[in-house]
Amino acid sequence: MEKKKKILAIDDEEDIRLILKEELTDEGYEVYTLGDPTQALDKIEEIHPDLVLLDIKMPQMNGTELLCLIRDRYYDLPVILLTAYTSFKRDVVSTASDYYVVKSGDFTELEKRIKRIFKVRV
Amino acid sequence: MFNSEGSALPAETQSILLQKGPADILFGIPSYNNGSTLRHVIEAVRTGHAKYYPGARAVLLVSDGGSTDDTRGEAEAAFESDIYETCLVSCPTVPLWGTVTRYKGISGKGSAFKAVFEAARLLNVKACAVLDADLRSITPEWVQLLLDPILKKGYGYVCPFYRRYKYDGTITNSLAYPLTRALYGRRVRQPIGGDFGFSGDLVDRYLEKDVWETDVARFGIDIWMTTTAIVEGFKICQSFMGAKIHNAKDPGEDLGPMFRQVVGTIFQLMEDYETRWKQVVGSRPTAIFGFQSEVSPRPIKINLPRMVRNFMEGYDSQKSFYETILPEDCFSKLEEVRRMCPERLDFPKVLWVKIVYSYAAGYRAVVDKARYLDSLIPLYVGFVASFVRETEGVDNYKAEEVIEDLCEIFEDTKAYLLARWGGRGDEE
Repeated sequence: MEKKKKILAIDDEEDIRLILKEELTDEGYEVYTLGDPTQALDKIEEIHPDLVLLDIKMPQMNGTELLCLIRDRYYDLPVILLTAYTSFKRDVVSTASDYYVVKSGDFTELEKRIKRIFKVRV
Repeated sequence: MFNSEGSALPAETQSILLQKGPADILFGIPSYNNGSTLRHVIEAVRTGHAKYYPGARAVLLVSDGGSTDDTRGEAEAAFESDIYETCLVSCPTVPLWGTVTRYKGISGKGSAFKAVFEAARLLNVKACAVLDADLRSITPEWVQLLLDPILKKGYGYVCPFYRRYKYDGTITNSLAYPLTRALYGRRVRQPIGGDFGFSGDLVDRYLEKDVWETDVARFGIDIWMTTTAIVEGFKICQSFMGAKIHNAKDPGEDLGPMFRQVVGTIFQLMEDYETRWKQVVGSRPTAIFGFQSEVSPRPIKINLPRMVRNFMEGYDSQKSFYETILPEDCFSKLEEVRRMCPERLDFPKVLWVKIVYSYAAGYRAVVDKARYLDSLIPLYVGFVASFVRETEGVDNYKAEEVIEDLCEIFEDTKAYLLARWGGRGDEE
């Protein structure tokens, strides 16, 4: 049996973390969540996720800042920026993410992007 | 020393460099009749060196293609100018030494770069940065942005990331970027950006290749450098440089030689790296460095009616040729596009991707490669005209989303390329 892909969702809002965990677990992924982005690098080191879902606007640390740190340490770790705002897409740093997905009650786009990432072979 | 016969560096330049070396950093500027802009580029480099690497042993080589204007005089004046005081920068503890040389070999940017690579090896540098001589928007920070990822973060190759006007860099947007991404799986937004940083190790790899009698010696150099860096496994990043303001051209104007040389090199590299790109599925992003600022690149005027006319006339004159080289589904769809009202030209992205892939697959077997590549130009102009129409009322950011959509179509249609490529291979 194929090993479940591990996804780490980093978001300061507990409701969002719960919904993501529920939806993506139903899709067959092993989902971990984290509310404090300052602990993200330690968490990544601990669980070795196959993908990180990253909120942008968080009080402790901006998601794009964290994205730069992740890219610096993990050259090829897939990251999806998941945010309520479309405006951050204009931030050049967002291009260092695999995809930029706007949060919505409909998870179709997010699930499509996740599937696409797990098909990548470079 | 390099064999004087095959070297792009004149013997006297080699001797001087050996006397001046070793060095930590080499700056290379390819030039040809850039007297009006070169001084600004050199002064930016000198200031950047003084500001960011004042203790580093650095050499600046202007690799000239036989300019007939005052390029040499301007360069020599810029080497001596009192720029540090004006820019409020302390003089470097180790002064940057600059020289102008007339490279040898085929006339072209690639040969100019070969001379830079050879100089880098003679000087045994840790890092090298190359910059276009027609840059108007360069600042001293560009020096740091191209070199720090190499010197401080262990990257092998740094590509520029510019904010460009939506109609600047149309060969990049419709071919070089989406093809590099779909073929080799790495999203490098400006693979032919012109300004790059790279390590001494990568220089050695470049000099191992026997490509200097091909289009790599001309405008094919940029895509060749980027592709080689990706395929040979060098760690790649991008640096945000702000806006690129240079002597840009209307994409409807004569871009023939550049188009042929860039696209021909991409197709040739596909043959060289066939086993690599066939295994790639999808793409991965690339790390990016640099301080962000809101920049508004200068608009470029586009003559849309002329572009549409060039597409239609070009198509009509080569229709029978297209019929022989394109698969039936592409050709019939292209016919439909040709029959559209000029004011409502809509060139489907999927059609463009299939045409490009069909051309790529057919390139190996073609004898008259120049004619073959030339025949793609009217279709490219038609596609760009359609892009211009689609993005007429939107800002640069929205136009960027259209380019991202195109890239995903290139990725998703790769099976079509594999089928076309494989089929042709079986016939041979």
